[in-house]
Amino acid sequence: MNSLTWFYAATAGWGLAAAVALLGGSAPGAARGTVKGALRAACVLSALGGAAAVAGGVSSLLWGNSRVVSLGGAVVVGTMQLQASSLAGVFTALLGLVAVALAAYAPRYHEAGAGSAVYLAVYNLTLVAALAVFTAANVVTFLVAWESVALLCYLLILRHPRRDTVASGAFWFLALSETGFVLIIAAFVILATQAHSMQLDVIAARAHLVPAGWRDAAYLLALTGFGFKAGLVPLHVWLPEAHPVAPADGSAFLSGLVVKLGAYGIALFAFRLLPIGAAWLGLLTLAAGAVTAAIGILYALNERDLKRFLAFSTIENTGIIVIAFGAAMVFGSYGRRDLWAFLLLAGLYHVANHGTYKSLLFLEAGVVEHAAGTRDMDRLGGLIHRLPRSAVITLVGTLGIAALPPLNGFVSEWLIFQGLFQGFRTGSHLIGILIVLAAATLGLTSGLAIYAFVRGYGIPFLGMPRTRQAAAASERGQPTAGPGLLAAACVALAVGAPLVLLALSRAVRTVTGVALRPLLLPGNLTVIPAHTDFSAFSPTYLAVFLIAVTVVPVLIYLAGRPRADSVTVPVWDGGMVAFRPRMQYSAMTFSAPTRVTFDALYRPSVSLRRASDDPAGRSGPVHYETEVTPVFLRYLYRPVIRAVEWLADTVRPIQSGDVNLYLLYVFVVILLAYLIGAL
Amino acid sequence: MPMWFARGLRRGIVTTRYPARPEPSAAGLPTPPAFDAQRIDAALADRLCELCPSRALRLVKGDGEAGGDVLVFDVGACTACGRCQEAAPGAVTASGEFELAATARGHLVKRIPLAEARP
Amino acid sequence: MAASGGAGPATGPALGGRAGEAGQEQRVAAELRARVARQFGRSLHIRTLDTGSCAVCEQEIRLLAAPHYDLHRLGFFFTPAPRHADLLMVTGPMIRAFGVAARKTFDAMPGPKIVVATGACALGGVYPADAFTHGGVGEVLPVDVWIPGCPPSPLALLQGLLVAVDRLAEKVAGLTFIAGAQPGEVPQ
Repeated sequence: MNSLTWFYAATAGWGLAAAVALLGGSAPGAARGTVKGALRAACVLSALGGAAAVAGGVSSLLWGNSRVVSLGGAVVVGTMQLQASSLAGVFTALLGLVAVALAAYAPRYHEAGAGSAVYLAVYNLTLVAALAVFTAANVVTFLVAWESVALLCYLLILRHPRRDTVASGAFWFLALSETGFVLIIAAFVILATQAHSMQLDVIAARAHLVPAGWRDAAYLLALTGFGFKAGLVPLHVWLPEAHPVAPADGSAFLSGLVVKLGAYGIALFAFRLLPIGAAWLGLLTLAAGAVTAAIGILYALNERDLKRFLAFSTIENTGIIVIAFGAAMVFGSYGRRDLWAFLLLAGLYHVANHGTYKSLLFLEAGVVEHAAGTRDMDRLGGLIHRLPRSAVITLVGTLGIAALPPLNGFVSEWLIFQGLFQGFRTGSHLIGILIVLAAATLGLTSGLAIYAFVRGYGIPFLGMPRTRQAAAASERGQPTAGPGLLAAACVALAVGAPLVLLALSRAVRTVTGVALRPLLLPGNLTVIPAHTDFSAFSPTYLAVFLIAVTVVPVLIYLAGRPRADSVTVPVWDGGMVAFRPRMQYSAMTFSAPTRVTFDALYRPSVSLRRASDDPAGRSGPVHYETEVTPVFLRYLYRPVIRAVEWLADTVRPIQSGDVNLYLLYVFVVILLAYLIGAL
Repeated sequence: MPMWFARGLRRGIVTTRYPARPEPSAAGLPTPPAFDAQRIDAALADRLCELCPSRALRLVKGDGEAGGDVLVFDVGACTACGRCQEAAPGAVTASGEFELAATARGHLVKRIPLAEARP
Repeated sequence: MAASGGAGPATGPALGGRAGEAGQEQRVAAELRARVARQFGRSLHIRTLDTGSCAVCEQEIRLLAAPHYDLHRLGFFFTPAPRHADLLMVTGPMIRAFGVAARKTFDAMPGPKIVVATGACALGGVYPADAFTHGGVGEVLPVDVWIPGCPPSPLALLQGLLVAVDRLAEKVAGLTFIAGAQPGEVPQ
């Protein structure tokens, strides 16, 4: 079946889901059972649509670009055109997977009611809009779909508009999205006018005729514009503001998919629309990615709120994806087309992996929030005993995102590292050094990510509960199927890495024309990336080996049980008489070493107040507050905001409210129009 | 660094040879007292028991073989403070023993039969 | 094993329990002694435990690692982990607040293990049992070797450790502390 047919099926499923949710769920006077049934039906339809989207995505990976289909001409400038492209294959498959998981998650997470019904309807329409972005074949379709996604996501974030900080979080999302949109329009307009066509295929074919200056300008505008959506530093500030206030599946959708729209845009411009350009563009992209990754994880280490923490981790992973794309561009500029294609493949693999485990983690954050009543890590603890299934699923996601073998994060990060290590093959010492610096930054980021996720999993799930609410958390009624599906997907993406690489290498061959498969998979389960003499690794064998290494000692232990004359005593705990929860690490103390090491970045401020200075310590409560300076908000955004406000104030006198003045404006404009028309 | 090395070579080995050879600096250690039973009578014994700050001395009347008093000295409780030696310099002297490890608590409780009050 | 100084019978330590008085216990003790000498004679790991002392005993114990006394040449080592320790060296009068922790430390040590009570406080000397203290380590833990002194000098500590691993014979059992021709000798 044609990829596009699958996508039509997906759209139909999601559209029906939206209709069912809206009509059945929010009809006035509907019985509660009807509402619940309608929402369930909507979720089933949404899951079916998701499955269709996965099928379409995988088939477009394998079978290449489909033909361009035109749908009607009702839009202002030109017709809507769709095409299932290979480059978008990963993204659409991810969209489908996330849609299925969220559909399984929604019935138990959302309370049945009119608000949830409208939310689910809007959400399914967002899925359709996102699919349209990925399958857009001309500029107008892309832009219309893009803006639709932005507006619909704004509504998703505003699920509970009356709660604290929700409105401001949603506003940050919308404001930065619109700013990026302006730049994206500019980039597309430049290319479309220079290539004299709105169709993406035609632009790609003619792009080498466009003067280099325009090409570079278009790419820079695209990098910045899509960078707003992807979360490149310093364009990232909406992520930590919007993610905590959206509902859990909304946050999962934002991080798992909407951020990937930005990555898709950058890949579209860098690999499909524009030919290989000058090296400095690639280096700029690489630098942006490296800075984003490092800063993202450094700020993640400072967060107590689970969702803000995960939002910063998304920023870090966007940085990793952009590092892969940037390094690919650099290799391409130096004529190494095999490495160019290879790093594109590694970046796409990381897109798939990150979408999977980040969605999983956000869904589980929602479960934790509902079970224990709080997202604050310092109020949680011991959840592994109270939410056992969620704990195991979250562990799979955490191991994945920390890039630990044998899971999928390890495979994609290893591939990116292997690509970066080939920097010496460009022939230029300077470029080699710069690429090695990027690899070093990626190494720092990976190490800090492990540190951050030990904290992110250990503090809430392990140890003793720090509050009564955490101790009373229960798994009853919490959704497990959705996150469980994503956990299974993580394992499948890792153990089935040869299959994934097969599909991705086919897609990359369609996009770049380079056939990587003979270089990549000589024996069918071993991966030799980038260059035949450099390194080799088999994810499948590694997974089997690690399981064996864990299972065999357990079997040996069970076979030779402790003998009769041995004594069992409690674990040595330092002789503590009574271990209290407050003696445990807190989230902030666990990450305190980074605040000391990187204090030039954080500039922490500490305030310590006590009622008196009694040296015997009996002065009463002590108030200790420490805050990390929000560097970007304070030094970049606030001046810009103030400048805009100043400009608005300066221009306000035009709106005087005086009708006579308005008539004068009309007269002046008509006069000017005549004069200009006459010239 | 080179000065430290030179100094070390000059001073030679400072590690004690104990237990293979006796340690000369041990002569200056404070040690528990030894009691001359001939010179201690009941009154002096009472005073010594009161003086001992760690209750290491105890006088048991009439517990000796010929009905005499016994001064029970718990070496384990002795802190070698020297007050009993100051009070009765002739009768109580430093024993000079510092190798006092015992494998049973009872080995550290010494009975010193005093001279009989009546000849 | 060479024994320097000391007269009288060499009554070595029993393991993890009090030295017995009856003859059968002496035979068992002799077997255990031989085992101890084989196992710990050349390498012994010591875990120190302060149950409320004034810390002067700790200073003397710390001096054992200094170049002048150098317990490493005798095969003794300090370890902080009870799981790795063979010998528990306890100072202080065993204050009541510490009883649970002391018991836990002792339980965490794998057998065979030796307990050495160090200093006059640990032997029950300076502080009698009251609301604040048990009055001696022997009230809570089974002690094998008792080392008097306030504080015991590092040489006395070395002698105590060597007695504990049966490399030196116990000397004090044969001393009378009765002043004679030579101080401390049996006057016969």
